[in-house]
Amino acid sequence: MMLHSKLSSNPAKNYTVATLVSVGKHPKSGRPRRSDQDSKALELALNMDNRSVHVIHAGDSSDPLRQSVLREYLGMGLERIDVTRQNANSDAVPALVERLKMLQADVVLTGSRAESGEGSGMVPYLIAQALGWPMVPAAVEVTAAGDGEFEILQALPRGQRRLLKVRAPFVASVDSAAAESRQTAWASGQRGQLQEMAIGSNPDEVMSQVTVEPARKRPKRIASAKKAKTAADRFKAATAKSASKGGAILVKESAEEKAQVIYDLLVSQGVINKKK
Amino acid sequence: MSDLIRKDPRKDWILRNRLHPLHEQVAAEMNGPAAEVRGPSGLIRRNPHAVGFIGPNGIKRIDRLGGSAAAAAGAKREQKEEQLPIIAIDAPQAYVAVVVDMPNGELSAHDKDVLGQARALADAAEDTAVLAVVFGPVKAALGTEANPDHPLGLAGVDRVVVFDSEAYQGFAPEQQLEAMLAVERTLEPAQWLFPDTHLSGNDRALRLAARLGERPIMHAWQIKNGKVTSRGGSELTDITRELASARILALASECAMPVDEARYEARVIASPAVPDVLTRIKDAGAVAVDPNQISLGEAEFILSAGNGIHDWDQFHEAARVLGATEGASRVAVDDGFMPRFRQVGATGTWVTARVYIAVGISGAVQHLQGIGSCEKVIAINTDAGCDMVKRADLSVIGDSQEILAALMAKVQADGAADGDEGKHDVA
Amino acid sequence: MLESVIPWLLAGFIAVLLAGMLRRIRLWRAGQPEKVDLVAGLMAMPRRYLVDLHHVVERDKVMSNTHVATAGGFVASMILIILVHGFGLDSTILAWALLATTAMMFVGATFVYRRRVNPPSRLSKGPWMRLPKSLLTFAATFFIVTLPAAGVLPEGFGSGVLAFILLAGIVAGLGEMLFGMGWAGPMKHAFAGALHLAFHRRSERFGGGRSTGLKLLDLDISKGQTLGVAKPADFKWNQLLGFDACVQCGRCEAMCPAFAAGQPLNPKKLIQDMVVGLAGGTDAKYAGSPYPGKDVGNATGSPVEVITEGLVSQETLWSCTTCRACVEECPMMIEHVDAIVDMRRFLTLEQGSTPGKGSETLQNLIATDNPNGNDPQARGWWAADQNIPLMSEKKEADVLFWVSDGAFDMRSQRILRSFVKILKAANVDFAFLGDEERDCGDVARRLGDDATFQSLAKRNIATLSQYKFKRIVTTDPHAFHCLKNEYPDLMEDSGLLKNGWEVLHHTRLINELVAEGKIQLDALTSAGTVTYHDPCYLGRYNGEYDAPRDVLKAMGIELAEMERSGFRSRCCGGGGAAPITDIPGERRIADMRMDDIRETGADLVAVGCQQCTAMLEGVVEPRPEVQDIAEIVAAQLVEIEQPSESIAKEVA
Repeated sequence: MMLHSKLSSNPAKNYTVATLVSVGKHPKSGRPRRSDQDSKALELALNMDNRSVHVIHAGDSSDPLRQSVLREYLGMGLERIDVTRQNANSDAVPALVERLKMLQADVVLTGSRAESGEGSGMVPYLIAQALGWPMVPAAVEVTAAGDGEFEILQALPRGQRRLLKVRAPFVASVDSAAAESRQTAWASGQRGQLQEMAIGSNPDEVMSQVTVEPARKRPKRIASAKKAKTAADRFKAATAKSASKGGAILVKESAEEKAQVIYDLLVSQGVINKKK
Repeated sequence: MSDLIRKDPRKDWILRNRLHPLHEQVAAEMNGPAAEVRGPSGLIRRNPHAVGFIGPNGIKRIDRLGGSAAAAAGAKREQKEEQLPIIAIDAPQAYVAVVVDMPNGELSAHDKDVLGQARALADAAEDTAVLAVVFGPVKAALGTEANPDHPLGLAGVDRVVVFDSEAYQGFAPEQQLEAMLAVERTLEPAQWLFPDTHLSGNDRALRLAARLGERPIMHAWQIKNGKVTSRGGSELTDITRELASARILALASECAMPVDEARYEARVIASPAVPDVLTRIKDAGAVAVDPNQISLGEAEFILSAGNGIHDWDQFHEAARVLGATEGASRVAVDDGFMPRFRQVGATGTWVTARVYIAVGISGAVQHLQGIGSCEKVIAINTDAGCDMVKRADLSVIGDSQEILAALMAKVQADGAADGDEGKHDVA
Repeated sequence: MLESVIPWLLAGFIAVLLAGMLRRIRLWRAGQPEKVDLVAGLMAMPRRYLVDLHHVVERDKVMSNTHVATAGGFVASMILIILVHGFGLDSTILAWALLATTAMMFVGATFVYRRRVNPPSRLSKGPWMRLPKSLLTFAATFFIVTLPAAGVLPEGFGSGVLAFILLAGIVAGLGEMLFGMGWAGPMKHAFAGALHLAFHRRSERFGGGRSTGLKLLDLDISKGQTLGVAKPADFKWNQLLGFDACVQCGRCEAMCPAFAAGQPLNPKKLIQDMVVGLAGGTDAKYAGSPYPGKDVGNATGSPVEVITEGLVSQETLWSCTTCRACVEECPMMIEHVDAIVDMRRFLTLEQGSTPGKGSETLQNLIATDNPNGNDPQARGWWAADQNIPLMSEKKEADVLFWVSDGAFDMRSQRILRSFVKILKAANVDFAFLGDEERDCGDVARRLGDDATFQSLAKRNIATLSQYKFKRIVTTDPHAFHCLKNEYPDLMEDSGLLKNGWEVLHHTRLINELVAEGKIQLDALTSAGTVTYHDPCYLGRYNGEYDAPRDVLKAMGIELAEMERSGFRSRCCGGGGAAPITDIPGERRIADMRMDDIRETGADLVAVGCQQCTAMLEGVVEPRPEVQDIAEIVAAQLVEIEQPSESIAKEVA
């Protein structure tokens, strides 16, 4: 947005940006896909000036379906992806950290939350912890401001933004609100290389002890139902809901009265703040 | 007079004789409202005749609701009078820590849910207190002693630690982490709970977990029978893990009911000493964002225009005054009044706004599909029979120009415009 | 004197012509190899010219006769000129014959001239304005020069000044006709056109056949080739030859919906730009209508330069709705749509620059098998209350109902339910695939993503090959076209033989049911004036013009036909993924089509395609009502008492 105007005073300096990509999961079909946030992170890296981008994937890449997803990342215009092959259900962080140390990256970009597995969002924090670097969450733009300093635009809820400044090296996770990633070109994805690297894998013991099931629908909370002490209160609580629902239609009121009703709803929903 | 119980043999006799004309009167007098009497053998005897009362038109009424119905009319007044009990934990042996978000210094509904969960966890253990960790100023002042009527006390907090110096303001995750570590060192909470909120609770939980080397449970939405259920990636799976295996949990909203049956002390305890950290992430402040720069998919409040708009300048002005993001129907885009990226609907952008105002949009199927997940839809339209009105939570039938003008006047009069405010303190 | 000069002139011009032809052939050979039976093609050429091409040209009677006279006259004259003046055969008969042919050519050329007096905008100007004059000069000069040989005028006539005038005429005439033919003058069309007919890439189109399915793209990149067409040299050699055949008559331009809507596409200019590309140079000499909103003269290209970097803009390629109106109209049988999709393939597969929502749509198709990213497990939800047998349970049925992506769209579901009602009323033994179905791949293919198309198609074929059925019926002409014309290319190694299935559009099946008396229909009297919109993928792509009309007729509807109906039907704007790429124009194609409909005074427009329905209903009201034929029929069904057993037997 506004960051480009403040561009680097020292544009010649080259940065190494490492982007971590994972195999995502489509929220509707559950099929492997290019992870939305990871590809946005890669897009962000590709749009930085004076950078060399390294893309790293750690995971079980033996499955052809998962490989085709990595090829989708390659199709964004990459020559290769470093693949550190990990067994299924292993903790990828040690392998990633080892790889990043070898690379001597200045900036590490990741998605905020994996689309498959636990999706806790821990990976960037653990990497930052292991490397002793600062970790900046929810980035939507990263710009080199010169002299090793970077300006990061951070996504706040409701489309608001905050400007942060941080010195390289650092880790940043990219928010879903970042710019859409570029299209993947099938043919260049097929031409790119998946360069396998052997780094030992560490089994994830916690994940082996949990039970994973398809998501259940969360029950909707019925307002004040619990508070009711008597059957009548419970009845009232259960029936009150339908009474408040259903669209009110205002026809005959004056324009001012109509505006007042809309205004009240807007205030009650908190989208405009009444100053008093 | 005298505490001696005197027997009136005549009344006893009348009481025994149910056919006596004065029987009712005497029974009421003797037994009073107590329809239950302790019989000679010590057992409780229920007198069915004494149950109920004579209603205003002389008909006997039996209240099987235990008097609550009769009290319903005066319920409000009574609730005020009814003081919730104060539960105090004098010497807590352990803590369940909750790092509350408190946006703008007030507890959010999400905070209260998490505190409700913390309460349940604390109550399940001996002498365990709920500790609220607050960053930034608290709006309602906390006294030095117990604060049972403070929002924190009402939400189930036993102890409060407040870090409100300048260093914790804005986005200061490093300093806040240091404070959490200080709490960890001094109070050693058994569990750390966070509301799982973008950039505040979520970020703090992950930072603390990474530093402590703990494996957190994020996106948890249910704690039951010693097990925690959380949502996996893409919201496609439920992952269930032993509660005992996790010390750090980030909880979704509505994970538990907020506390509402007792008050707690919310006693402020001295905050532990926190070393100043080297701030490597510098907050350069909020960036003014034009609501119209916000992408439709992200926007929370959308003012959307359709074929029924004739005064486009007024529409843009209205969006500005209301601080709403502009949207449009396909027709308005096709006619060139709005750019394509503003199109809402199945063929444009699927929106998730909290409030969606459709001005002059009749509601094609594709458009209605696109606003399927909007919480409140307001229709302003001249045609009361159109599909948008059927979908809307509030419909206003009339000339959109007049109504928008009145709405703008209303907002400007109250000085409530959101557009120029820009800043939202989220952390 | 003249007589002694002419043979040398002739020899010289013919030599130049041959040199030019060889150069032109070399240019075409820069294209990719494509197997064509050269001898058989050349043998078939006269028939293709006289019969197949004639059918197209004859749509304009005057122009057809003009061309017969001019071209026939020229070819005959040229042969006779070589005999009479070249070899000096002293035969009065030949001379008289030559007089006759040049006279015929002269008459033809006058008509060409007349048309050029006030030419319509679709015709190119420039050298094409010179052509009638050259034709007249050629015919007149040789007529005069031949007079002595015929004995009308004395030998030795034509000396002095007259000889020079005639000589000038001969040079001018031969220059245009022979030099121009070999060296990219307007007459190039005769030479390239003839060879194009002989070596056409879709020889099935001749002899009354139809060939509309896109050609399969070889996805093997192991040899380092680019996918799709990046540079003119990436076209097949006979495609390049086809571009050279263009006569710039502009019939395509007149029919193109994108051009009419002011989108930056003009099929004629596109083909001319391809010619610029294959020969190298700029479009400065182009003298026809430009791409709307773009100036002429800025395009440069060569056989080895990327087309979209300077020759043709990307929006031009994405404006096409693949409606095939241009191909249908083209008297030179040029395949515009093939060329456009070939170039789109490069943009999508190699560059990843599909505009609009193209990228998102393709991602969805890959991850969910439908273009809008709906849950693939929800595909069968529309039929929850329809009680339709699932193929996975039934395994065998007479008719397999291919639902297509309308399953996710609430409007299209009304069409689907109506059709199911008809099938049930007729006791047809049918079943559907439910969640096993996938998008047919139409959108992916028109967006240039043949990889995704092939992946979807192969998986659909694998699903289909598990079951036994006699026919597939679908309400979606796009799926109809894919299944019928494009899947067979991928079916060779599946269990399904090419002739093992028959694909039907629902209007055809309904028509059959009506004809066989399986369903009875009430007359529709309350609808007012009714017109019918031919969907491109049903009509032009598959020649199905009659079935929908017969069904409507069976309900006593007399259609108020639009001026542009049948093979000249105007696209609704919904094909070729045009709503996804969404290239802005001055008007919307759907609005123009609705204007066509309004001209008939129709209250109801019958359609046979859910995409057309959606596009036409997208036009702002008030407008005529839009209904699919299935919906109209379902409303007019008459319950007939039929012992269901006997029907079941009969169908089985």
